Amino acid sequence: MSGGWATGSQTSLREANRAAILESVKRYGGLTQVELVGSTGLSAATVSTIVKELTSSGLVEVRPTSRSGRRAQLVTVARRVGLAIGVQVGTRHLRVSLGDFGGEVIADQTLPLPSEHRLDTTLDRTALLIVDLLERVGATLDELVGIAMALPAPVDTSTGLISVRGVMRGWDDEPVAQVMSKRLGKPVWVDNDANLGDLAEATLGAGRPFADVLYVRASHGIGAGIVLGGRLHRGFAGTAGEIGHVQVDPQGAICRCGSRGCLDTVVGADALLAPLVGSHGALTLRDVMHRAMAGDPGCTRVVADAGEAIGAVLASTAQALNPQVVVVGGELAETGEMLLDPMRRELRRGMLPNLIAPIDVVPAMLGQQAEVMGALATVLENTDVADTVDRTATTREEER
Amino acid sequence: MTPPEGIPTAVTPVVPVPHVPLLRLTQIDRRFGAVEALVGANLEVRAHEVVAIVGDNAAGKSTLAKVVAGVLQPDAGLIEIDGEAVQLTSPSAAQQLGVATVFQDLAVADNLDVTANLFLGREQRRRGSLLLDDGEMEVTARRVLRDLGARIPSIRTRLGELSGGQRQAVAIARTLIGKPRIVVLDEPTASLSVGQTAEVLNHIENLRELGLGVIFISHNLNDVRAIADRVEVLRHGRNNGSFSGREATNEDLIAAITGAFRADEHLQAHRRG
Repeated sequence: MSGGWATGSQTSLREANRAAILESVKRYGGLTQVELVGSTGLSAATVSTIVKELTSSGLVEVRPTSRSGRRAQLVTVARRVGLAIGVQVGTRHLRVSLGDFGGEVIADQTLPLPSEHRLDTTLDRTALLIVDLLERVGATLDELVGIAMALPAPVDTSTGLISVRGVMRGWDDEPVAQVMSKRLGKPVWVDNDANLGDLAEATLGAGRPFADVLYVRASHGIGAGIVLGGRLHRGFAGTAGEIGHVQVDPQGAICRCGSRGCLDTVVGADALLAPLVGSHGALTLRDVMHRAMAGDPGCTRVVADAGEAIGAVLASTAQALNPQVVVVGGELAETGEMLLDPMRRELRRGMLPNLIAPIDVVPAMLGQQAEVMGALATVLENTDVADTVDRTATTREEER
Repeated sequence: MTPPEGIPTAVTPVVPVPHVPLLRLTQIDRRFGAVEALVGANLEVRAHEVVAIVGDNAAGKSTLAKVVAGVLQPDAGLIEIDGEAVQLTSPSAAQQLGVATVFQDLAVADNLDVTANLFLGREQRRRGSLLLDDGEMEVTARRVLRDLGARIPSIRTRLGELSGGQRQAVAIARTLIGKPRIVVLDEPTASLSVGQTAEVLNHIENLRELGLGVIFISHNLNDVRAIADRVEVLRHGRNNGSFSGREATNEDLIAAITGAFRADEHLQAHRRG
């Protein structure tokens, strides 16, 4: 327990109980009062009193539901005008988050994906997960105002098409937004994952104090988002910041995009794992992170070398844009200074030393949620709140 | 995969690849009358590894699982755990050796709560007493469910009131009670919704993170390729190819399952059989 509560006092006990109930409701999306008794270990009377308090202060909502045929009261986090869905389609996982207009994430779910996952299966599973999440908090599709999706490829946001062939195999020429929009009957926005990550970090995370923020997403592939003067710069058809496809080795391997020796062929997941096969056996990217953090020298070296290679490429990008800060996210960033220190060193070595404002490299604050939070923000930004309030109010009136 | 040029490959082995697998089955035969359920089947599982077994109906997947679980005894063949030959004469013998199994029907008791199900048949008693140690069991139950990342609101809920995915989570969590090293999961995602499948796949990844060897039997190639380190194909009770989970495509696996592709060892086993 933190904060200034006097331990053992009535007030601190009530505060702790309130916190326990709120935390449980957030973790499960929605729970009945009986389930809350089980999950918090509090008495039924206490749960009932606290839920009433939380309802009147507008923190939670209670609606009728049923559990194994019996009537029950479902307690969920209070929602502010409509719901938004943020989806991150990763190389090896899918993350779907349900948020409200207060920017609060109400429920989320991740699903591991096979490598080279297919468009049809993945979009189908996404749609089903969206409906599943809505059900979990006792909401219907009518309350959903829109969906935004982050893809690990450059996206032309005006058409919603992936603008470079081959980066996501089998996803080229597919109007992802249209397919999803037709399926669920909601507006759908599609953008690059690093762009959405930058949007979230620049407005809610580590880039908040700055106007110009370069966000690097180091995961299975490398990408960057560029926020200049508080605005996201996507480039003409969405390829701005694609540092993963800057050539670093003219004699290197051929990249998925068709060029030779791209940064992705040196620090992408396949390239990071390949040199470890002989010594460590077949690992996953997550294994490498965990072992590096546990101090394994081979894995540490792989991460540090990746930081150096990314830093060298970032130097020219940062020289061209002169951002105040570089925020580093994605799975690799979980290793912290192991990745950031060599990246920072290489970045500063490769650009003009700015005496007034030396560029800093900092870890992302929103972690793995940055991309979905950026997606949620996109939905909120593109939806007319007042209009939605009116419509929701009218439908509620009609229901009565 | 061959490493691209220009990438240093000289890394001193610090965590050497263990040479002795956790579990090794060699040339396992099992017949039911005229039915050849397994013919010279081989399987290896290492610690910290998810091995998927795929195959058509009656390919021998479940028979193999039952051999590992100690439910069925092979007619011939060698089973080694940590490099030592063992006899898995009964499920409890297998459990003693660190093999825990979740069968398709889960074998959970709907009328009992989560904690009671986790400790079914292995109830902890207070020291020097016949009374059940409910407090200790609940503490362990909470810890195991947390390790697995299971979303089960209350450990006092009766199983009958949980969803299919939550019941599966309880069945998987139950395997963790006996501190196993190998967990066998027979079709854990069959008849689950996408949301529940997602939870179960995350649980399997967590088992792997805990350092266990996992045998994951499934029909769904997407689920298999999402989490398996290695995919073993069975066809008519014989091995028909071993694939890296990261590199195998659906086409490769379907070819091996349907017999469009025949592994050498499969043909040899067929001649012998």
